[in-house]
Amino acid sequence: MPLARRAVAAVAICSIFAVNAHADDAALRAEIDALRTEIAALKAEVRHIEGERNSADATPTKASAPASADAAPVPQSAAAANATTLWGYGEMNYNHPTARAADAQADLRRAVIGFSHAFDEATHVYGELEWEHAVASADDAGETEVEQLYIEHALAPAYGVRAGLMLVPLGLLNEHHEPTQYFGVERNFVETAIIPSTWREGGVAMYGNTDFGLSWNAGIGTGPDLGKWDPASGEGRESPLGSIHQELQLARARDPSLFAALNWTAIPGLNVGGGAFAGKIGQGADFAGKDARLLLGEVHARWQTGPFDFSALYARGTISDTQALNLTFAGESTPVPKAFWGGYAQGAWRALAWNESNLTPFVRYEQFNTGAAYAEQPLGVSTSALPTEKVWTAGINYYLNPNVVFKFDYQDFNRDDAELGYGNRFNLGIGYQF
Amino acid sequence: MLVRWLIPVGVGAASVAQVAHATQYLTVEQAQRAAFPDATAFETVRAKFDASALGVPAGWAPRVWQARAGERVLGTFFADAVIGKSEAIDYSLALDTNGTVIALEVLQYRESHGSEVRMAPWRKQFLGKTARDPVALNQDIKNISGATLSCRHLTEGVQRLLKLHASALAKG
Repeated sequence: MPLARRAVAAVAICSIFAVNAHADDAALRAEIDALRTEIAALKAEVRHIEGERNSADATPTKASAPASADAAPVPQSAAAANATTLWGYGEMNYNHPTARAADAQADLRRAVIGFSHAFDEATHVYGELEWEHAVASADDAGETEVEQLYIEHALAPAYGVRAGLMLVPLGLLNEHHEPTQYFGVERNFVETAIIPSTWREGGVAMYGNTDFGLSWNAGIGTGPDLGKWDPASGEGRESPLGSIHQELQLARARDPSLFAALNWTAIPGLNVGGGAFAGKIGQGADFAGKDARLLLGEVHARWQTGPFDFSALYARGTISDTQALNLTFAGESTPVPKAFWGGYAQGAWRALAWNESNLTPFVRYEQFNTGAAYAEQPLGVSTSALPTEKVWTAGINYYLNPNVVFKFDYQDFNRDDAELGYGNRFNLGIGYQF
Repeated sequence: MLVRWLIPVGVGAASVAQVAHATQYLTVEQAQRAAFPDATAFETVRAKFDASALGVPAGWAPRVWQARAGERVLGTFFADAVIGKSEAIDYSLALDTNGTVIALEVLQYRESHGSEVRMAPWRKQFLGKTARDPVALNQDIKNISGATLSCRHLTEGVQRLLKLHASALAKG
């Protein structure tokens, strides 16, 4: 019988205790003291748990965000899943070419609404909807686009997976392109002409960061489509990849591309990183460019210390097997380059700061070439490299608060190109982010 | 080639199994024990303060404990949350009896953007800070490029807790 066995065992243990107690009173007292300490600790634990529950009960649930929602503290209960949040940014720019005043232009460059929704603590959807140039219709130049739309799932605190339409993790600007994040009215040329910001592709990626300060992101996805190259337009000279990116709009997806990026931030204030994007861009179509491969790489560094903010970036891209394709473009103005590159260095100084505001002058020097080399061709058809464009930009970002910026700058180009909009100019801009 | 497309899907699916607490680095209890290894008790403290005098939004309710070893007070432990880019970051702050920061931990981070604030080198900047320091981003606290919003909001959160400690909790 189990019951009987248990009773016998209990009696046996009791008698052992009894014998021991008689044998060694002091040991027993020591044991009782130990138990007392343990009970005190348990009591404290219970009080602590009760206190925690009370304070959690007393905490109001987050009904609506306070006025300065992003800077405001939140009660613990806001941690709940099923939270949907909205954010956004926008910019309005004015460009005034000094030699061609008639080309002066004011533009609502972009208005963006972003959203995220937490299905649970580990699973989110992120989306960004954008309108460019104020009005989009059949008769207008504006565009409306889905700039990002992806599912993100954290597999562990330090890494996770994303799938959908994602920003390519190259450079300093592409993933952080809100107007409050960069100096100057216009985005820099290197990260628009060489790295075609805002560059996004559809695919799957893993991301994460390590305790020692390394962030990584690698994935597979769609790539540009060389079949879209228009040799008669200047677009391919303005931005070779920008003219053939697909933005997941009925994207031709025969050949996947790979991308990877690393950023090292172990020293506070310093970010050193780089990334690469590679893939076949003929997308399986039967045409002269079917074997073309794209390889784009970049390295960057940014150092923010006290009132100073320095950054530098270099990017270089190559497209292989363009010879046969360019032969079919003979006589056209814009063949496909074999190589294109650009680099910049920038320094900014927060000269004045008061309350939430600051005045930050900056200067940037860039060099870039969207047609640095072309595949060799038979005599008479060959294309010579484009001259390198060199641009100085100097100006001021006036932050009314960290999320609202007014910008002014002047840009000096070493050569003019009216078609591509190159030429000395001054610019005014307004930007915000929430 | 279709096979090439399927590789990452397989990799993703293989690792989906382990999901529990995918966004939690530390529990409050773990952070308490790490900050005050000698403590025998953490007593809940009811912090009474005037939100407007402190310049904090109404309804702010950080959780506060006093760490003790027997009768001896070791310091103060806070658990609070701020918005990162768009979601809450749970964090804890431990102060010694002089009000000096001895530990800052990110307990839970729910979005990947800005999650670099969890990394030890950045958090170490706060050690030794007191309510007398500015504790302001781009002044005595350096930024992580690409994680600016999370850095700024967490820095502001620590500054708030230091002010609270100095005005309402510090003894004498």
